[in-house]
Amino acid sequence: MAHGTAPSPQQVRLKGLGPGFWSVTLVLTLISLANAWYFLFGSIDWIMPGSTNPVANVTYDIDGLFKFMAVFGGAICIYVTGYVIYFAIAFRARASDAPDAVGVPIHDAPTLEFWWTALPTLLLIVLTGLSIVVWYKIQFGVGSATGLTTEVIGHQFYFEFRYPGLKTSVFSKTEPMHLPLNVPVRVLITSSDVIHQFWVPEIRLKQAAVPGLVQNLNFTPLRSGTYDIVCSEFCGIDHSKMQGKLIIEPVAAFNKWLDAKKQAAAAGGGVVDLSGGTALAGKALFAQKCAACHQIAPFDQKLVGPGLLHITDDPAHPTLVTGQTPTSAHIAAILQNGFTGPIGTMPNAQANGLAGKDIANLVAYLTSLK
Amino acid sequence: MHAATSTTHEAHDVHDHIHPAPEGFVRKYVFSLDHKVIGFQYFFTGLLIMLIAGSFAELVRLQLTDPKGAIMSNTAYNEMFSMHGTAMVWLVLIPLVTGALGNFVMPLQIGARDVAFPWLNMVSFWIVPIAAILLFSSMLWGGPHAGWTEYPPVSLLDGTAGALWCAAIFTVGISSTMTGLNFMTTVIMMRAPGMTWTRMPLFVWATFATALMNMMATVALSAAVGALFLQHVFKVPFFDPARGGSPVLYEHMFWFYSHPAVYIFIIPAFGVISEVISTFSRKPIFGYKMIAFSSMAIAILSFTVWAHHMFPSGLAPWLQLPFMILTYAIGIPTGIKIFSWVATLWGGRIYFSTAMLYALGFLITFTFGGITGIFLASVPVDLHAHGTTFIVAHFHYVVAGGSVMGFLAAVPYWYPKATGRLMSERLGHIGFWLFFIGLNGTFMPMHWLGLEGMPRRYATYEYFAKAFPDAQFWNQFETGFSFLMAASIGLLAFNVIWSIKHGKIAGINPWGARTLEWTIDSPPPYYNFKKIPNVFDRPYDFDQPMPYRNTDNVVAPYPEYGAVVMAQPAGAGA
Repeated sequence: MAHGTAPSPQQVRLKGLGPGFWSVTLVLTLISLANAWYFLFGSIDWIMPGSTNPVANVTYDIDGLFKFMAVFGGAICIYVTGYVIYFAIAFRARASDAPDAVGVPIHDAPTLEFWWTALPTLLLIVLTGLSIVVWYKIQFGVGSATGLTTEVIGHQFYFEFRYPGLKTSVFSKTEPMHLPLNVPVRVLITSSDVIHQFWVPEIRLKQAAVPGLVQNLNFTPLRSGTYDIVCSEFCGIDHSKMQGKLIIEPVAAFNKWLDAKKQAAAAGGGVVDLSGGTALAGKALFAQKCAACHQIAPFDQKLVGPGLLHITDDPAHPTLVTGQTPTSAHIAAILQNGFTGPIGTMPNAQANGLAGKDIANLVAYLTSLK
Repeated sequence: MHAATSTTHEAHDVHDHIHPAPEGFVRKYVFSLDHKVIGFQYFFTGLLIMLIAGSFAELVRLQLTDPKGAIMSNTAYNEMFSMHGTAMVWLVLIPLVTGALGNFVMPLQIGARDVAFPWLNMVSFWIVPIAAILLFSSMLWGGPHAGWTEYPPVSLLDGTAGALWCAAIFTVGISSTMTGLNFMTTVIMMRAPGMTWTRMPLFVWATFATALMNMMATVALSAAVGALFLQHVFKVPFFDPARGGSPVLYEHMFWFYSHPAVYIFIIPAFGVISEVISTFSRKPIFGYKMIAFSSMAIAILSFTVWAHHMFPSGLAPWLQLPFMILTYAIGIPTGIKIFSWVATLWGGRIYFSTAMLYALGFLITFTFGGITGIFLASVPVDLHAHGTTFIVAHFHYVVAGGSVMGFLAAVPYWYPKATGRLMSERLGHIGFWLFFIGLNGTFMPMHWLGLEGMPRRYATYEYFAKAFPDAQFWNQFETGFSFLMAASIGLLAFNVIWSIKHGKIAGINPWGARTLEWTIDSPPPYYNFKKIPNVFDRPYDFDQPMPYRNTDNVVAPYPEYGAVVMAQPAGAGA
């Protein structure tokens, strides 16, 4: 081995682990402890809204995992950052060094390496265990104890909510979703068009609304109030306008609301004054508001919804898609409330931008078709 | 072990069998077969597109200074963030860290005269501008709108622009696959005699791991965007549930590539950091084998974690569990690397060159980004943070604070080898502080905004500003700091061009570094090594003589820092 004849370069001189190593370590430890204290005993409501007063049963557990990671992950960041800055300063090249001086030529330190592999591994195993416990509670915790199953259907750009026993839907553009307090809830989620996401930030849960797939979220609401529902998967041009409200209320209030909705649905869904509607105005409105999904053609010529030429006189389809007779009032009810059936979803008047007068005109037009 | 053997010219010493450099502008600079020229081509293409894609990011930031959207329509905003992400990932980061750095540095570090397949290498590069033309021409048809992921069904609404997007990504994928194959072959077959696997420089290890992922993962992406293209153009319902397809299938195929992809652009940066920290601490890298093997461990594990991008997107609940555990597992080799770099600093003799500043900054920002990655690996926490600006913050801490910082360390480090001149250290230092402060200012507030409830890809955030009145303040804060990063990149572009003429003459080895590229002239001659050197020891022992024999130049047994840098240990010279 031709190792040359020049003398080996000088090494930098070092006492112990370096000047002030243990003082720096103490300071970093104190900062880490302060970080831990803050996350464990301080209020983190400003990062995780409602953390001190959880909205649902899983909120507390998810925030607990977050805090656990903030404590230990924060400590790793503090030590790494602190040592990088300290080493850079303490071991900087000095003008007084010999020009060819080199650093301490160590290649490894097996004991140190063992511990800095073993400790994070142990930490990650603990974290995995804690995460699995919370994960199980979220995915399977409600189980057969489900008190209420609701459905959420994502549309561009609103949510549709459906309840057991309620024939009409609730649309996020006009009305909030309602959920009862302290009742285990299963929310079934799907989409009619593109992928959306149903997210209630204060509950901490979200699930994608994927067309062709029904997924669920399980939780028990614990705190009354009004919360935001947010679409958090990009869904198109008005993605950033796709929000709704969630009202969590005591069971009695929830039942009262649901019963009122059921009665309104049974009554044909609100009364629309049909007098004064003209077929001519209805025809113009149809081209503008309806023609994207419906043709003036026989039932089977579907665009999105069925063809409407024979809406009142089709022997093959003697009733409307709602199963009701094709009277003006029943047609108006579909226009007013929307409808979801095997063919798909017809949005309600709010979603379609129809005023009462518009419905009157459209009904006059549709019933005039033969 | 070396490929320069000759059977027809037995009278020659095999090492002297060198082809003459090509004549003429086109063969020399346009359709060049020389890995160094191809490296420059990648570098300037990537840098140019970085300026364009970076300006898209600034438009995105400007829009968010007002909850109602300050400067453009929702459609334009959606196009801007989609183009920013797509161009940055496929036309900036991958060409820069694998194409530019891999091509220029790797063959020099293993003592080779070129890559294994120079012609393939040339084709790989020229595919990138074609992909760039396809991608940017999609803007004539309104551009892509669904983000850099282009999930169907919503991306199907992009029409012609969406089809062009697929074509661009498919095309650039061909380049990645070929480069991966080429680099793997080069590393396996063309190392100088005596350069065993454990004597390879760590950047070569990193390039090798990256090449493995490039070669094996990119096909999944090609399949995903190929199927999406067929659905766009021929209405084949791969992702249409009404006709038996599944939108979730696209997400699986996309992330099977795109998770390794984030390692494709971080692992070369790991390699750069290893070289730079060792050189400017004048110390052997701590735990060489652990760093090398952890690169390979990350490369292999990276194929097993893709579905952690999809926890709330349509995974069966039981399927979330293995992906969570494997994602945690990938944190262990990553942690080993970071601790080893910090330990390398200990007891060193540290010079604050621009490259070293970026490397130190990398350790801080990448660690932070890595830790937020651990948060997201936990399924329950991800169910909250998914799809919010917390993800944007995590991703940019890892990519801008990791890959880009690594790249920004590599540029001043190898620039003297590439051009024969040093870049301005003064501009470099200013650029570092602008970038470091800008990065933290831009992305730090996104962490809490996201957790409070601000989704990503929102053109407007009136709902959020109503619930959190300080949302607008923080968004304006982020926008302000983002311009510091823009200024830093502008300064880099200026420094690169200015220093070609005005930089100080570098000499063979301005940093006193010990890998093989520092034993040949700057810039290296056409065929790199007149004589293929012999390697007889590992590269990073700064207290030992250089471990090379049969070298072109007389190498000082104990390399010193070039006089330019030595004069000012603080590295503050212009």
